[in-house]
Amino acid sequence: MCSQPFGEISGPAEVTPIVALHEVSKWYGNVIGLNKLTIRIPAGVTGLLGPNGAGKSTLLQLATGQLYPSQGTVHVLGQSVWNNPSLNRRIGLCPEQDAFYEWMTGWDFVYTSARLAGLSRADARDATGRTVEDVGMTRHKGRAIRGYSKGMRQRIKMAQALVHGPQVLFLDEPMAGTDPVARRALMDIIQRLGSEGKSVVVSSHVLHEVQSLTPNIILLNRGRLLAEGQVRQIRDLIDKHPHHIVLVCDGSRKLASRLVGWEDVEGIRMLPGGKALMVETRSPDAFYGRLPQLSLEDGTEIKEVYSDDDNLEAVFKYLVNK
Amino acid sequence: MPIFDQGYQHWSGQLSGRAWRWLAVTRQGIRGGLKNRFLRYVLFAAWVPALALVLMLCMWGLLERRSSLASTFMQYMAVLQPGLVTDPQHYRADIWRLSYGYFLQIELRFSMVLILLVGPNLISQDLRFNALPLYFSRPLRRIDYFLGKLGVILAFLGMVVIVPSIVAYILGLMFSLDITIIRDTFGILLASVAYGLILTFSAGMLILALSALSRSSRYVALCWVGIWLVSGIVATVLQAVDSQQRRYDYYNKITVARPNGRDANRLPPAERDKQWRAYRQARQRATEEYRVAELGFSAHDWRPLTSYTANLSRLGQQLLRTDETWKKLSLLDPDQEARDQLLATYMGPQYPWYWSAAVLAGLFGLSACVLNLSVKSLDRLK
Amino acid sequence: MNSAPALAQNEPSSPGRAGRGLNLSAFWTLYAFSLRQHRHGKRWIIMAALMLLPAGLALLVRNTAHNVPPVAMEFIFCFMLIPQALLPLVALIYASGIIQDEQEDQTITYLLIRPIPKWAIYTMKLLATLTVAVGLTVVFTSLTYAVIYWGADTHGQNILLRCLKASAIHATAVVAYCCLFGLMSLMAKRILIVGILYIAIFEGLFANLAFGIRLLTVIYYTRLIAYRTLPFIVSTPFGTQDFAAEAWQLDVRTDPKLLEHPQFATCVIVLSVGSLVLTILAAFLCSKREFYVKTAEKA
Repeated sequence: MCSQPFGEISGPAEVTPIVALHEVSKWYGNVIGLNKLTIRIPAGVTGLLGPNGAGKSTLLQLATGQLYPSQGTVHVLGQSVWNNPSLNRRIGLCPEQDAFYEWMTGWDFVYTSARLAGLSRADARDATGRTVEDVGMTRHKGRAIRGYSKGMRQRIKMAQALVHGPQVLFLDEPMAGTDPVARRALMDIIQRLGSEGKSVVVSSHVLHEVQSLTPNIILLNRGRLLAEGQVRQIRDLIDKHPHHIVLVCDGSRKLASRLVGWEDVEGIRMLPGGKALMVETRSPDAFYGRLPQLSLEDGTEIKEVYSDDDNLEAVFKYLVNK
Repeated sequence: MPIFDQGYQHWSGQLSGRAWRWLAVTRQGIRGGLKNRFLRYVLFAAWVPALALVLMLCMWGLLERRSSLASTFMQYMAVLQPGLVTDPQHYRADIWRLSYGYFLQIELRFSMVLILLVGPNLISQDLRFNALPLYFSRPLRRIDYFLGKLGVILAFLGMVVIVPSIVAYILGLMFSLDITIIRDTFGILLASVAYGLILTFSAGMLILALSALSRSSRYVALCWVGIWLVSGIVATVLQAVDSQQRRYDYYNKITVARPNGRDANRLPPAERDKQWRAYRQARQRATEEYRVAELGFSAHDWRPLTSYTANLSRLGQQLLRTDETWKKLSLLDPDQEARDQLLATYMGPQYPWYWSAAVLAGLFGLSACVLNLSVKSLDRLK
Repeated sequence: MNSAPALAQNEPSSPGRAGRGLNLSAFWTLYAFSLRQHRHGKRWIIMAALMLLPAGLALLVRNTAHNVPPVAMEFIFCFMLIPQALLPLVALIYASGIIQDEQEDQTITYLLIRPIPKWAIYTMKLLATLTVAVGLTVVFTSLTYAVIYWGADTHGQNILLRCLKASAIHATAVVAYCCLFGLMSLMAKRILIVGILYIAIFEGLFANLAFGIRLLTVIYYTRLIAYRTLPFIVSTPFGTQDFAAEAWQLDVRTDPKLLEHPQFATCVIVLSVGSLVLTILAAFLCSKREFYVKTAEKA
């Protein structure tokens, strides 16, 4: 359910949430981390987004039982998380901080994590081998972590979160500080986890990365829930801001003169270069539906059609700046 | 009408000279240190002995002028040592020396506590949070960094040792109204300032070296406690064992037998008392011989060198020449035995001061080496 | 809203995982892991250097002072220096870092997200700390005895037995100190200052006062156990002298059997039960606490 001004998003009836926060507030002295947050995170891959200080880490720490809510309740897989260590068998966390037992090898670190999760020696060995291979760290497993690059450290951190086969995975800024190659590798891992049926909550402030992972997002800002749902649906509900659709064609002025007559077109701007124009409309679906006909009637060849704000960044900017 | 750029503005003023770049590090360190409430309490408490010093010097000045404001003080001093009151000007420098001596002894303890509160974080936090690249990516050399950090120690120790010494001196001058006091006491001021600087540089370099060895300020602090307290305990233990053994050597030389319990009980009471009296007198003589010999022995006793604070105290004792003062004051007592007792009680260690100077210089050099090896410039940082 | 299948809330555990009860193998893993942490840190080197002090001093005294009775050295180094200064410092260094070190290094997250209760995290790490502290204590107490009595006239005493007793007494004391400072580290942010003040004022000052307050100090019971199990009688020019009674202000003239003071068994029970109670309290506190790693700590 979105925050009130935007109304409800319709979807399949009553999917049991993986994570349920009800009226959760968390404050640190005078600083409010989360402010009366009520969300239900469904199964699958969900992006948790927000600028620095939005409350993402607080939410993840509450969801993994590291913090106790000042108000409200937090449930994961239907159980309260606080002081519920048995639930941690089914939860994995890849924390944001770049902190390790530097003297340990990668293998040792993951193996110890498996043993701490309650796996027997043989199971832990097998699980460690599989997981280390899954994250692509087999070649470097025997080196001390202090000698790892940032990308390797992130991958080994991911491995310790996966080794015990959790049902729910919380990833706190997993791509932070990594190079594009490592980032791609991590994103592949997350996508694979999602396709395997695991529930993954990925926290980030890098919008395009999350957008490429999942359409399901939760937007936080200053401890409050800004929006929740699919990017497109949220975008549709922001009816204050018309959609911007860019049409690239040679006869852009002629096309513009035709489009001006459409009732749902609120504005047209010629883009620099004279080869493209931007249309503002509150009914993008209707617009897309009529556009091919217009092109045929008019004979104007439209080379490219795209919306530069049907993306997370645009959604976020609208919501934060409103 | 011109439209002004609201964006980033480049600094068009003059950059401070290279010689003062360390000051930025010092200022930041002082600001950080003063945020610690406990440190502020300790600073406040450390100024109490300074007030006592000021009071003593001012009272002596009033005493010299026979002011009625110092009448109670005069009476007290007259009971303690009448010779001081009859010619206070003659003993002015001595009283100033002793007052400064006790003040600096107390402030030495406070300084150790201040360093414990301020020092461990100085470099260890920079190592922990990887702030060294932030420093050395600026036009800051390692020497500027070290000077800046040392400046923090200088600032806090200066606040409790050097500044109160100077202020007390000025106030003491003002209460004396006698120009010759400058001639008599200026050396004391110089000595106390010199002691403050020695304390700062010695202790400052040591704590910086310790701080550079670990990323955890807690362990640095515990190392400092070890150097300060445990070294003192070691010196005390060594001295106690040794002096006790020497005392026993003197007692073993007593030729008068100690009356044995059973045998003594069989004797008539008068005879028994006589034997005990003879034994006690012999023991008393042995004790006095031991005490007098201790002063001579302490000239060769290396054991106090194992205590860090004792080394600093020895230098302070030498700079202020407190031993000469005690010798002069002991002459006020006509009784030789009382004089010896006073000297044995109040004179400090008699081993050569340059032994302590060598120990402190060695520690200084070692600290400098540790700093040089532990804190690398940008091109050599991992 | 999403294409991934909705998962049931209570997916059954996969085979090979421990059940919902206490996960003893995880506890053992944490204990062994904590021991490894101690071994890899440089802390034990510093502790060893500190604990070498009595042995080093004993060597120095034997070579520089003459005719110092070994019993006197034993008393000064093993029953004054070690229990009064070194054991509390060693305990403070080790026990204060049980949780705080993990928190400062931000690695405590990896322990909190495992299926191990917080009280067990604390208890296992405390046990590892005690193992290391007791090990160091026993080794260096024995070394000190070896240095004091090597080649010295033992006057027919069983030095090995004295050494064993001293090691056991020191081990009991260091366990008590570790449990105490472990609890304090959970209650006080500046555990170092609090710990040093405690050692200086409580154990250093109050323990020497003939008032009831010394019943709250560890050193008092340690001294009584030592006095009741090991004699420290030395011949001096004044006759035989009971070092321990004089130094510890035990009035053996009016109360030669120290009937006004707790007996040996009482002292042992007090220290043991006290350590247990402190551990339980600390584990309870730990279970209720939040550990701030990345987010702002409460004012």
